[in-house]
Amino acid sequence: MHFTGPEGDIALFDGLHLSIAPGETVAILGASGSGKSTLLGLLAGLDLPSQGKVYLDGEELTALDEDARAKRRAQKLGFVFQAFHLLPTLTAQENVMLPMELTGVVDAGARAAAALAEVGLGQRLRHYPQQLSGGEQQRVAIARAFVTRPKLMLADEPTGNLDHHTGHKVADLLFRLNAEHGTTLVMVTHDRELAARCGRVLRLQDGRLEAA
Amino acid sequence: MRRSLLALRLLRRDWRAGELRLLAAAVVVAVAAVSAVSWLAERVGGASGGRAAELLGADRAVSSSEPAPAEWLARASELGLEYVRTAEFPSVVLAGDATQLVSVKAVEEGYPLRGRLQLSDAPGAPSQAVRAVPPRGEVWVEPRLLAPLDVAVGDNLDLGESEFRIARLVTVEPDRGGFFGSLAPRVMLNYDDLPATGLIQPASRVRYQLLLSGPEPALERFHAWLRQADMRGVQWRTPEDSSLGIREVMQRAKRFLGLSALLTVVIAGVAMLLTVRRYAARQVDRVAVMRCIGATAGEVTSLFAWKLFWLGLFAGLAGLALGFALHWLMLELVAELLPPDTPAPGWRPALAGWLTAFAALLGFALPTVLRLKQVPPLRVLRRDLGHDVFRGGSLYVAALAMIFLLMWWQAEDLRLAAMVGAAVLGTLALLALLAWGLVRGLRRLRARGGRQLLWLSGLTRRPGTAAVQIMGVGVGLMALFLLTVVRQDLLEAWRGSVPADAPNYFLINVQPEQVAEVRAHLRERGGVEPALYPMIRGRLTAINDKPVRPDDYRSDRAQRLVAREFNLSYGTVLPSDNRIVAGSWWGERPGSADSLSVEKGLADELGIGLGDRLTFQVAGEAVTGAVSNLRQVEWDSFNVNFFVMAPPGLLDGYPSTYITSFHLPAERQAALTELVRRFPSITVFDIGNILTTVRGIIDQGVRVVELMAGLTLLAGVIVLLAALQITGEERRFESALLRALGASRASIRGLARAEFLLIGALSGALAGGCAAVAGFVLARRLFELSYPLNAWLFPLGAVAGAVVVWLAGGAGSRRYYRGSPMRLLRGGGDA
Repeated sequence: MHFTGPEGDIALFDGLHLSIAPGETVAILGASGSGKSTLLGLLAGLDLPSQGKVYLDGEELTALDEDARAKRRAQKLGFVFQAFHLLPTLTAQENVMLPMELTGVVDAGARAAAALAEVGLGQRLRHYPQQLSGGEQQRVAIARAFVTRPKLMLADEPTGNLDHHTGHKVADLLFRLNAEHGTTLVMVTHDRELAARCGRVLRLQDGRLEAA
Repeated sequence: MRRSLLALRLLRRDWRAGELRLLAAAVVVAVAAVSAVSWLAERVGGASGGRAAELLGADRAVSSSEPAPAEWLARASELGLEYVRTAEFPSVVLAGDATQLVSVKAVEEGYPLRGRLQLSDAPGAPSQAVRAVPPRGEVWVEPRLLAPLDVAVGDNLDLGESEFRIARLVTVEPDRGGFFGSLAPRVMLNYDDLPATGLIQPASRVRYQLLLSGPEPALERFHAWLRQADMRGVQWRTPEDSSLGIREVMQRAKRFLGLSALLTVVIAGVAMLLTVRRYAARQVDRVAVMRCIGATAGEVTSLFAWKLFWLGLFAGLAGLALGFALHWLMLELVAELLPPDTPAPGWRPALAGWLTAFAALLGFALPTVLRLKQVPPLRVLRRDLGHDVFRGGSLYVAALAMIFLLMWWQAEDLRLAAMVGAAVLGTLALLALLAWGLVRGLRRLRARGGRQLLWLSGLTRRPGTAAVQIMGVGVGLMALFLLTVVRQDLLEAWRGSVPADAPNYFLINVQPEQVAEVRAHLRERGGVEPALYPMIRGRLTAINDKPVRPDDYRSDRAQRLVAREFNLSYGTVLPSDNRIVAGSWWGERPGSADSLSVEKGLADELGIGLGDRLTFQVAGEAVTGAVSNLRQVEWDSFNVNFFVMAPPGLLDGYPSTYITSFHLPAERQAALTELVRRFPSITVFDIGNILTTVRGIIDQGVRVVELMAGLTLLAGVIVLLAALQITGEERRFESALLRALGASRASIRGLARAEFLLIGALSGALAGGCAAVAGFVLARRLFELSYPLNAWLFPLGAVAGAVVVWLAGGAGSRRYYRGSPMRLLRGGGDA
């Protein structure tokens, strides 16, 4: 797979090959600017490589148009971001409901409440993001990511905005849910300790992936 | 369906977070303005439109300046038509020493043929609907006649040579003509009592009507028969005609109010542009997240379109409630001018209001919101993407197009819409430009001034938003100033232009044989020596022997002038305020008896020049003369003036009455009461009274427009708040930073206050200045009054603007200056 930056002259990846088996947990390590996030975006179909193909669950993602890729994301992907990306005008419960509401799930409210209870926030359903601590916000984001029962979970520096202790607890939660749901996990991070908790650790350097 | 409900839920969440309040407020104000005007117009218009036959009091009417001849009555009976006769004319009633100009109407048994009169026994008492006429010896009067005469029901009053008892009060007279139609109060009497009053003299100004009702074919046959006879001076009136005048006035009033409502819509539109831009900008991250978790671009588009739909629906509903309340208020303000039985409010104005809401959102908000679908989902990982989705001018093109479409819809006339649209946008652009210039100037000043000009910094840091704020508030204030101060100024200027000794009374219907006595009476008892002019009614039938018809002319005024009779006079002395502009006045020795002198304006309107031969129909005969001079006349001098005058000899033999005007000091008023007693058939017009009534009517109308201007100002304040909101994050950050650097909360608030006072003062001064200039131009160009530029409007505007903006801005920005600086500096972002 090749990916060329928006300016066109910098090739981020050069002949990159990566296949991930169902249920696997993979960490991708790399210095900042090495293209970790770009790779994650390509895996999610948020962006397209200039050459090469991306397959998700046996289907060629790169052959689909943006709307079809959005549908696949809704059906098969979960996301956890470094900056949480909760919607500030929605309560915790409403944030978790949102992906289900977009696909028309009927009992979104109850399922969101259950998902929040699962991450230990059953008492904070009606709190707004700004009323929650960073760790709590990331737990809401994790509940939102798992509530649609995705096959693939993509995490972008999930503890990057949290202090060490909180980060550790959030990571515990992420791995626990991942194991319980049997989800495939791809995590981008520069935290070696966190990466070490994954089944496979890769390093992205000079546009190539190497086992770390 | 699912998506619309989801959009509704998301809208509710946005609303809860306070995201859309200003946008909704802008919609509310816009809808209120349009629906209030629409309801007002519908109900006032409906008060006349729905009951056309009642407005005529009959199915058809024949109107003439002579009583209906016997053969008409015979023909009507023959055709099986019901008929009654009425006569209407101005006169003066007396009660003790008090006199009052009234509009007399004599009616025959059977009146009205359509509709009902409403009568009551005392002012304020309940009315009963009746079809009846006053018994002989009694009159029914309008309640407003009682106070000036200091009489009550049961008292007597003198009308001409007869005395009548006031038996009942007329509260509703269906065929009165309603809107602006009636300056003098009504006195209604039995047709058979009319001769004994002695009020009807040869050539008296009386409008006779033969009211007819019956089957349509019979009415048509009567009309056909009548047309074979001489129809000159006779008017065949249908119910449609009778409501025509009112409909025209209403149409114009509706158009004017509609366009002023649109001014509010345009300002509210500016507020919408501002608020929706901020709203959309805050949605960029959220849309990226939604796209990332699986929403397609189409879903995003439809979600936001639905959100706006729901917003339009609910805010529109609130706007309709406000508009409905406002229209009640306006209706109350003009209640005296209206027939008391206005129809119930209908649903059409609600529809118009809602359409406005959706149209405004479509033009001002939707294009911006739709850009959100261009937000790339990758923004969740790369913050640098998606910043430029709102770039480009097409957003404003949509807004401008919508402004124009709305104008077109309200004006119902493409040219008018284009003109008003250009004027509104021109004014807005001018205000924005001036505001921009001022802010730039201050900025330069601030750059040079250093520490002591720190208070200017709030304004100069944000020149763009400051200019928009100044424009928004400025337009609202300007409308208010024009309606209050400038209008008052113009009235004063007009009053000042009328000399103190300008005539304050008119006498009409003076019979030729009374002239000497009236002149003597006025000289001895009133101390005045007025000129009395003979007045002969004639209709222009030919110019240079070529027949003229109304259809020959394009302008309304020319058509009216040709269609109706007007007053001719003769004499040797040029009236004192007339000036010959072409040819020469004949003086004591006219060259030939068949010369004519024509008023310049009339000559221009009808295309008449020196030497043209004009033929008039006077009392059934053709009278022809050649134009020997043109006169410039000062119509607002309150002196008696004529369109056409002749030297003695040409018109002397025709039936005439005399007319005069004079200034009678208040202490000599008794002379008039005596005059009316001595010569009951003479009608006295008290100009002071009439002007007071007219001013009252104008004032009532203006108050309605003032309410509209209030809404415009409200829209301006929303623009202010919207602009404030846009700079909110910046203010919050600045305030936190300044406090972290050691500034006290009070000093930061002081800076903000200075900024608001400055914005308010600038917009107010600008509005005052523009209003003053507009008033100046109006006075010179339109009203031809000498009116100095009102310099007071600058300081007045500055103070008013400063107060309004300080109050609104202070309330709107308080939250930006609260909270701990630490939290503010850390929080940043979306809070």
